[in-house]
Order: sequence, then C-alpha cells, then structure tokens
Amino acid sequence: MQYEARSAPRRTARSRRHSLRGRVATGLLAGALVAGTASITPFVAGAAGASTTARAAAGYSGKITYWFWGESDIPGITKWMQQRIAIYEKLHPKVSVDLVPQSNTTIISSFKLAAQSKTGPTIDTQWATLDTLVPAFSGDVAPLNGLVPKSEMSHWINTNENTYKGQVMAMPLYLIGVPLVWNKALFKKAGLNPNKGPATWSQFLSDAKALKAHGITPLGMGNQDGYFGAWMFAIYMKQELNSLSQVTKGIANQGNAQSIFESKLKSLYTMMQALVKDGYVNSNVSSLSLNQGWQLFPEKKAAMSFTTDGNVLSWAKAVGEANIGVGRPPIWGTGSLASTYDVTQSSDEFITSWAPNKQLDANFLAWLHTPSNMAALNKETDAFPADNRFPVSSITDPLARQLYKLDTTGKSIWLENYLPPQVDSDADIPAGQMILSNSGSPAKAVALWTTQLNLWRTEQPTQFQQFKTWAASS
Amino acid sequence: MTAAIRVGSRQLLLVVLCVLSLYPLWFMLDTALKSPQQYALNPTGLASHPTFVNFQSVFSQWPFLTWVRNSLVATVVSVGVATVVAMMAAYAIVFSRGRGRELFVRTNIALMAIPPVALLVPMYTLMVQLHLINQLPAVIIFYCGLLVPFSVFFFVNFFREIPFELVEAARMDGASPSRVLVRVILPISGASTFTLVIVNAIFVWNELLIALVFLQANGSRTLMAGLALYQGRYVTNEPLLMAAAFLSVVPLGVLYVFGQRFFVRGLTAGIGK
Amino acid sequence: MSVGTTMAHVHAESIPTPRPARRRRARWPVAYVAPAVIALGVTFGYSFVEVVRYSFYAGSLGALTYVGGANYTAIFQDPQFTHSLLDNLKLLITVPVITLLALGVALVINTGLRGWRAYRAIIFLPYILPATAMGLAFSYLLQGGGVLDSLLRDAGMSFLIHDWLGSPSWVLFSIGGVIVWQQLGFGVVVFSAALLNVPAEIIEAARLDGAGWWRIQVSVMVPYIKRIIEFFVILEAIAALSSVFTYVYVLTGAGPAYSSSVMEFYIYQNGFENGAIGVASAAAVVLLAIASALIAIFLWVRTRASKDRA
Repeated sequence: MQYEARSAPRRTARSRRHSLRGRVATGLLAGALVAGTASITPFVAGAAGASTTARAAAGYSGKITYWFWGESDIPGITKWMQQRIAIYEKLHPKVSVDLVPQSNTTIISSFKLAAQSKTGPTIDTQWATLDTLVPAFSGDVAPLNGLVPKSEMSHWINTNENTYKGQVMAMPLYLIGVPLVWNKALFKKAGLNPNKGPATWSQFLSDAKALKAHGITPLGMGNQDGYFGAWMFAIYMKQELNSLSQVTKGIANQGNAQSIFESKLKSLYTMMQALVKDGYVNSNVSSLSLNQGWQLFPEKKAAMSFTTDGNVLSWAKAVGEANIGVGRPPIWGTGSLASTYDVTQSSDEFITSWAPNKQLDANFLAWLHTPSNMAALNKETDAFPADNRFPVSSITDPLARQLYKLDTTGKSIWLENYLPPQVDSDADIPAGQMILSNSGSPAKAVALWTTQLNLWRTEQPTQFQQFKTWAASS
Repeated sequence: MTAAIRVGSRQLLLVVLCVLSLYPLWFMLDTALKSPQQYALNPTGLASHPTFVNFQSVFSQWPFLTWVRNSLVATVVSVGVATVVAMMAAYAIVFSRGRGRELFVRTNIALMAIPPVALLVPMYTLMVQLHLINQLPAVIIFYCGLLVPFSVFFFVNFFREIPFELVEAARMDGASPSRVLVRVILPISGASTFTLVIVNAIFVWNELLIALVFLQANGSRTLMAGLALYQGRYVTNEPLLMAAAFLSVVPLGVLYVFGQRFFVRGLTAGIGK
Repeated sequence: MSVGTTMAHVHAESIPTPRPARRRRARWPVAYVAPAVIALGVTFGYSFVEVVRYSFYAGSLGALTYVGGANYTAIFQDPQFTHSLLDNLKLLITVPVITLLALGVALVINTGLRGWRAYRAIIFLPYILPATAMGLAFSYLLQGGGVLDSLLRDAGMSFLIHDWLGSPSWVLFSIGGVIVWQQLGFGVVVFSAALLNVPAEIIEAARLDGAGWWRIQVSVMVPYIKRIIEFFVILEAIAALSSVFTYVYVLTGAGPAYSSSVMEFYIYQNGFENGAIGVASAAAVVLLAIASALIAIFLWVRTRASKDRA
C-alpha cells in the first residue's frame, strides 16, 4: 500500500524493542517469571470491588470501540481477541465491544485522523514508545494510573516503554523478538552448514554469496511499504550506537549530535546499498510489502528473512520445524549496543482521552491480562504474553523455547520506537526506499534525513519541544 | 486484397484493445476462483478447480454488505439531492431573467475543475465541528457540493434546448413556476436526468479519497474505502482481495450492460452541433 | 465530480438566447437558485476562505498557532513537494497519449467495421470501473515478478521484465499506463460520436478531389472535430492534476521514496497522516492556483468555441 508508508504505517510488525533506554527485559521477565505461576482470581471481579456499586456498574455497561492491530506480528491474535470479546460480553451483558482490526498501513493514519476529530476508538493500538507517547504529549491518551490498580500493572512487562511523567500510558499484550531465520534445506543445497546460521555480517555475506551462486534468493523481504528499510534502521543503526541518546540527541539537534548521527546513517545505507547491488535481496523487494516479501520464506523461495517470533512459529508449519534455523541478526556494527537483541512489546493498547467511560475500557483491558486469557493467547498463537504471571514452563515447543530465550537474554532495544512518527514516516522510510530501490546514493539518503528533520522541527514546533523534554528526562 | 488486409488489421487492432480492456477484469475473476496456494503456483493460468470460498469469505468475514449499503445510501442520497438542487437552479437560470445568470453558469463551469483534495482540510474541520466524522452525512454533504456544478451545467445546457414557447404557453394558462417544472419540464427530461444520475452515481460509488478520510469506523465505510483499507490486511491473500474487488465492480458492470446507451448518450449529447 | 464526464456538454449552448420579455421580475428564481448557492457556498466558498487561513497556521486541529508564511517556505524546501508537483506534470504526458490513441481508434471505428458498436462498448468499459478495485488488480499484475513479468517471460521477452511498481524510473510509467488504460475508452466514445457528425458532403468532396483514406482523415475529419479535441485535452489535463490519488494510493503509496507522489497524496499525507493541517493547506493553495490557470484556459477555449459557432 500504500506506502503509506510514508506516512502511515510504519513498521509493521515491528518488533520493537522494549525498554526505554535499553532496560533489561530479562531482569523484569526473570523476576516476573519466578513469581508467576498462573493463578489469581479474575481481575475484574476483585479490582472494581473497592468502589461503590454505582461506579462498578458504570464500569461494566456501555460500548467499547477498539481499533486493534497485531495480526502482522502475531498471526492469529485477532481471532484470540474476538474470542475474548465474546467471553467478556457474556460475562458482562451490558458491555459491547466493537473490534475494528487495523493494518500496517492504517494503524497510524487512522488514529491520527481520529485524534483530530476526537472521535472513533475508545481503545486504540499503537506501536510502542514514541508512536504512543507523541499522541500522549498532545493529550490524546488517557493515563492508566487511577483506572487500573498499581498492583495489577506491576505484572505487566515493559511498561517502561510507554511511561511518561511517571504515568503508564498503555498496556502491553505480548513480547516479540526479531530473529534471523534460515531455511536449513536451502542452506544444505548451497553447500552450507544447515545448523549454523550467520553470526557476523561477513558470514552473512559469504552465506548469501553461496546461496546466490546456487540460484537461491538469499534474503526475502518487502519494502514497498518501507518497513524492511525501517527494520534495517532499527536493527543495524542500533549496532553502531553506544547509547540511545546518540539518536535522541541527534534528532533534537544538540551540539554536534546530528552530524554524528548522520555519519552513522551513511555507513548503514552504504551497507544496505551493497546488499541490493550484490543481489542478495529478492529483486522485487521494492514492489512487495513487508508481509508480501515474507511469503517468500514459507514458499521456500528465499533462504533467509528477518521476521517476528510469531511468524517464525507459523512458518515452521509450512517448511517443517526441523527445517528452520533461528538466531539473532548477524552482528555488523561495533557500537556497544551491537550485542543487544531486538525485542519489544511492539504494539500496545491505550484508552483515548475522549473515551466517555474510561473505567469501562480500563476494566476490559485489565481483564485481558488475567492468567487464563494470557494462557489462551499463548496457546492460540504461540505469542509470549507480556505478563509476569504467565508460566514459562508452559512453553514446550523447542523452537518457541529457543525464541523465548533469545527474547529474554540480555538487553534489548527496537530503535525505530525512538523516532517521532513523522520522522519515521518522512525520513526513515523513504530513505530506506531510496537505497533499496537503488535510486539514490547513501549521501542522498542522509540528505533526505537532514531535510526532513528540519521540516519536522519547523512544522511541529510544539511536538519538537515535547520531544526534547522527553528525551532529556528519559 | 490490400483492402482485406486493411480491414483485417483494423479488426485485429480493435480485438487487441478489447482484450487489454477486459484482461484485468478477467484476472480478478480468475484469481478469485483460486485458492491462495493455487494462485501462488500459477497466477496466470485458468482456475483448474474453481472455488467459491473466497466469495463466501468476503461476505462472512468482511463487513462487505454493510459497506455496500453505505455506498448505496451515500450514492442515492447525494445524487438525489444534488440532482434536485441543480435542476431547480438550472430551471430558474434558463427560464427567468434575473441578473447574474451567466455569471452563475460560468462559476459552475469553473468549479467543475477544482480538485476536491484542495477542499479536504476545511471540509474535514467543518465535519469535526458538526460531529459528523465517521457518519455518512459527512461524505454525503461533501459529495452533494461537488456534484452541483456539473449538474447545474448539464441541466442548463439541456433546458436551453427546450422550446421556450412550451414554458410560456403553460404560464399563460396560469401555471406557477413549480407547476411548470413538474408538469412541463420534468416529463421531457427523463432520459437526460437519468443520464446525469448515472454519471454522478459512478463518481460517488467510485470515490475514494474523501471516504477514506471522513469514514474511519468499520461500520460507516463505503465500499471503496473498505476495500482500500483491507488491502493492507489481506495483501497476501490475493484471491480473497480479488473476490472483493470483483464484487465491487459487478454493480457497475450490470448497470453498464443494461444502460449503456445512457452512458454513451450522456457523453456525446451536444457534441459537434 | 469527475471532470472527464463533462466533456460531452461542453459544447452546448452557453450564451443565453434572447427570451421574450417578461412582464415583471419574479421572486421565485431566487428561491430556486438558493439551495445550489448554499451548497456551493459551503463546499467551495467556505473551503476557499478556510484553506487560505489554515495555510498560515501550524499545529493540529484545536491547537493552531499563527506562523505567517512559514508553511509556504517549508513546502518549497520539501523535496517531496517539488517531486509531487513534477510528478503531476509528468503525468500530463498521458494526455497526448490518450488523445492520439483515442483519435486513432475512433477513426478506425468510424470506418464502420463490422461490430464497431461492441468494440466501442468494451473499450469504454474501463472508464466507469472503480479505480480502487482495478488498482488492486493492477498492483498484482505489475509488481516485480508479478503477472505481467511472468507473461513476458513466457513470451520470451525477458528483456522487458521490470519491477514496474518498485523501480523509481518505471513507477510513473506504470501509473500512467493504468491511467491510459482507464481513460482511453472515454476519448474513443467522444471522438467517434463527433466523427459521426462530419457531413457526408465534405467527405465526398474530398474524395472527388482524389484524396485517399489517410488524407481524408488528416485533412478533413480531424480538423472538423478540432474543438472537441481541444476540450478533451483540457479536461484530461485537469483530471491529471486532480484525480490520480486513487491510483497512487492503491498502487504504490507514493513510493519508492516519493518517486510516485502527487499533489493530492502530499496534501492527504501531510494533512491527515502527519496532522500538519497548515502544510497541507499551503500545498492546497498552490494546487488551487495551478487549477485556476487551467480553468482560465478552459473558459477561454469555451468562449472561443461558442463564438466560432455563432
């Protein structure tokens, strides 16, 4: 689509990483996991109990309009959500939930429009961090503090990705990582060791060369919507960094941070350009959307791909679990963040500031985190619930265990989350398209960033100030 | 001999153009009858085991009928209102002697060429203030406004062909302006009005940009906005998308087959005189 | 309203014919015109004023700040804006292509080949089909390694294979091609109807002078429908400026890297996806200025045509 990309959508399944400032997913998770065996009474009943009956009644009667996204990260999650809604509506006959699934190409633009008219969703899904916080800056998001008990929120994993001025703005549903996957059969065909995926960039390039020599497309991706390029930014720009502030300060134009930021961009784009020129990516990468490009892997037309946990598990069914290898993206950069993995809650759920009955929405959201619902999420979709009450022991599939281990080992960051949405859509995405469609040099792509950063600062003066405040405080 | 070649090559040219005109439609239908697996294996070939499952899915998994209903309502109301409004105005312009009549006609002609997108931001903010976003009246009001200039222009041209004596005679008999419009003008305007209605209805039915911006809720979308928004979600299920696209084209195809002379007449009337 | 559809009537009478004097000036015409005036006032009048006003403000709805001409400075510094403007101009190339092709086909049809009505009806069909739905089909037909490419490969013409929608150097041709596909039939219908009205005597006279088929087409037929061709060209030019959004949105989303962005998309994206209403409005004002120039030419051609006939 629309590339809409440009504007609109942005990352798709992006896996975004969690934790602001590179917090450690592991720490949180580990603690959580230990603590958590399922259990616990259904949240709803208990939580609202404190208040008066009148308030409780108000929290369980009315209409919820939920603009939901997740299918691209976690195939099957929409069905899970529909099932939850059916259960909830039965549980609370006075509540009705209107679920409006969004796509990669509409998730941002639809909400942007809704926020201008203050109509539409009472609950909305956005990608984590700045895609959620920028609307929060402008007052379109209702903080969850006060609507959901702190004791409940303490079970949610990675709420720090969406905390602003001490308040939790959004609820996570799941965690995803972005591994490199490879098809072992195709590796074997190219004379490569099927059990050893590339760990470094030079290994990646030599594997790609061997695959190509055997007539196999090495990497299958799609960039018509700009997401492959945005993913490369998220994964590999990060590998050049020593700290996240190198990005946020660059965007905020502090000192010489922007020129350092730009020189790192240039190295990234030079690397990406070589990838295309050497023919290591499917030749139609620019006319396939990310989701379309991904199909090359389960169709066995490409030997490798960067994708999400959810897709890996679903592709395992297409090519056979024994045929799938997973590993962290090969290391290319030399920054101290190069060894971090690419994990995030990806998308999050928040209540809009114009929702007429926020308690109603909050009760439903919190109910989604009840252990039985979280267990069902994992069972239906293999997704890893972002809740520390979820028992790790219930992950039994070996591939899933391997992915889960990757997701929870060491620091993790999804860099794209730290770009203001307009910068992501107007600079990150078209610059990646320029390189991957072979229509501009790395210098030209960097110049595009420079121009668009300046335009964003002048076109959105208020947002720019809010961004600076947030960057300084986080 | 050469004459035969000449005729033959002309026939060939037209046949090729017809094939090119119809191929995308054929591709839609052919793809819609395949399973995603069949499509992936053989995107261009004939559907070897035609399946109607995609058409069923469009109705069972998508709010397709709701979108169709919304498109119908938007089309019928906006075209109906615009037609009546334009007819009254054109009637007054042609059969009265007020000042500024030519200015009014020229203004309408000029407005026909205004790109709708240039009005999008102000109309959007207006609808926000009226609390009409995500409701059909938002697009209906906008479509009406966009349809009026051409419709006025159309009726003015048509009414000017009507012998003035017809109207004058009725007036002499004491008929009021509204009576003249209903009893004298309307009966002889049927075919022309129908032509205008078709042309306007096609515009509204096919319109995307305004519907996309004004109608964000699933239940209020028009067919084209729904299709465009579901493109992102179902882009990897080509047969399902093509089934939906094909179904969205069918009403126009049927209309065209039965009303083709109105299309052609609408487009050609008044030319070359 | 789709400008294209107006073609037919463009030629009709527009100078008021003298009417018998009426006895007194009636009030009813005012009441009859009023609804139309209100509709135009809201849709166009109000919008023109507001779009100019918004173009001097930054921020989103409800939080607008006056910034003077900053939005105009910004759009002219924005490479996507200039790209969009240029792409609209490049798409104007479709106008002569459609016109010449349609004229050629109309002349062939006019020879009264067997089945010409059916041919014309089929060639016209794409014109009425929704661009959204057809664009979806074309997105699969034209994507790199898609249907067109595999047909070319099967036909042994691999050298013609391209990433039709993913290559910046081809993407506008692809969009232009879809526009030609959709608009051609409109031109054919308009021109063939006009050609039917060429008086037989003129053709006969040319034939008696010894002119061959081609010579008659070029020296007699085409000049006779010259005015119609002029109208057609202007209307298609206006359409190329103001109704290509759907193709871009469905086929490419303006990518890769803006290379198929057009003014409509730029306004949509800035106003509604980025929430920069002021930037979108400034771009809309520029678009209106360009449209006004086209409208002026349009009105001038019409007036000249009416005088010709008078």
